Amino acid sequence: MNTSGTSNPEYVNARVRARRAALFTDDEYRKLVRMSPAEIARRMEETEYEAEINALGTRHSGVDLIEYALNRNLAKHFDDLLDFSEGKVYDLIARYLRKFDAWNAKTIIRGLYVGADRDSIETDLIRAGEFSDRMISRLLDAGTIEDVVTILEGTIFGEGLTEAYTDYEETDLLVPLENAIDRGFYGHLLDDLPNTEPVQLYREFLVAEIDFRNARNALRLARSGADIDPAAYYIDGGKLFSPSELNTLVQDQEELVSHIRESSYGRELTDVLDELEDVDSMISFERGIEKVLLAYSKRLGNVYPMSIAPVISYILAKEREVENIRAIARGREAGLSQSEIESELVIL
Amino acid sequence: MIETTTEFANVVLQEGTLTDPSAAAALGVGLAALGAGYAERGIGSAAVGAMAENEDLFVNGLILTVLPETIVILALVVVFLV
Repeated sequence: MNTSGTSNPEYVNARVRARRAALFTDDEYRKLVRMSPAEIARRMEETEYEAEINALGTRHSGVDLIEYALNRNLAKHFDDLLDFSEGKVYDLIARYLRKFDAWNAKTIIRGLYVGADRDSIETDLIRAGEFSDRMISRLLDAGTIEDVVTILEGTIFGEGLTEAYTDYEETDLLVPLENAIDRGFYGHLLDDLPNTEPVQLYREFLVAEIDFRNARNALRLARSGADIDPAAYYIDGGKLFSPSELNTLVQDQEELVSHIRESSYGRELTDVLDELEDVDSMISFERGIEKVLLAYSKRLGNVYPMSIAPVISYILAKEREVENIRAIARGREAGLSQSEIESELVIL
Repeated sequence: MIETTTEFANVVLQEGTLTDPSAAAALGVGLAALGAGYAERGIGSAAVGAMAENEDLFVNGLILTVLPETIVILALVVVFLV
């Protein structure tokens, strides 16, 4: 939209900080863990989420209500971010938020694949990315996956998608399409970033995110022992693995762990990796690396107050909040114990 | 443009306009005002951002926005001293 001209980091930062202060605290999570889904919904009505709970309360109930309200609130806040940022700041925020465009595109394609109707696809979308409402309704109106691919042609996802579609036609598997969308997103994430110090740290943060994603995929493959080509899941742009390294490392979990330990992330991830070796649980590893990313972005936000850093740290914190509340609600519904739910939460 | 600049500099330095104390003081106030304006730009936009989130911050925002104005007042003192 508006990527030229002056940017307004002061304005964006003031608003972001106010919103960050409105996020749930640790104590509130501890209270929520003891509540039933209905009580959680009622508690949410007294906070930030009031408008969404009221708007959706007539159509959904229970955990679904919580989940849709969370998504809608998330979309509202992130849309606002794009709305009031200008210039360079807009460009940097939009880069990261396009991940919701990728999510929406994937959701629509999956929906069409399983033959879901328009309404049920629409409720699962998170309208937080750069796609306009008009674009999204065009995508929703598309009857076939081919139409979706045609509509996406002009966007950042267009390039690989047309090729992937021929793959899809041959194999009837969604994997090539979904990978093409992911690559479209990650491929543009690091494109010509400006060369100032905070932005270089932002870049490091993005690279770390890509690395962690690769590490997580590799660990999952190593543990499942499934015979899948790891290159199909490899995301470019990271510095932790090269594709060929990854191919040999997924054979053996211990080697993989020691590779991560020797990398530049070794120091931050020591605790997480120790725990992985002791307890041998993927859940605590995944939560652990999320915690490391969150802590890093928070530190970055404090060191460079008038840059993109606080905004990114807010975006991550908000995503975590949504995921934490969803985990609590789903956990309570499934009757998990308090300590089991708490192990699913990411709290700094 | 450049020729006129050098000419202007010659006039200023040789004819001695800036050796006139009140002219120099006036320039000082002007520069101070410029600095204050630049500072208020950032503070003002942050203050408006904060007010948009929470209207109670209007008074705080207003006070913080005009704080750099003090530097202009201090510069104005110089005008009376010369």
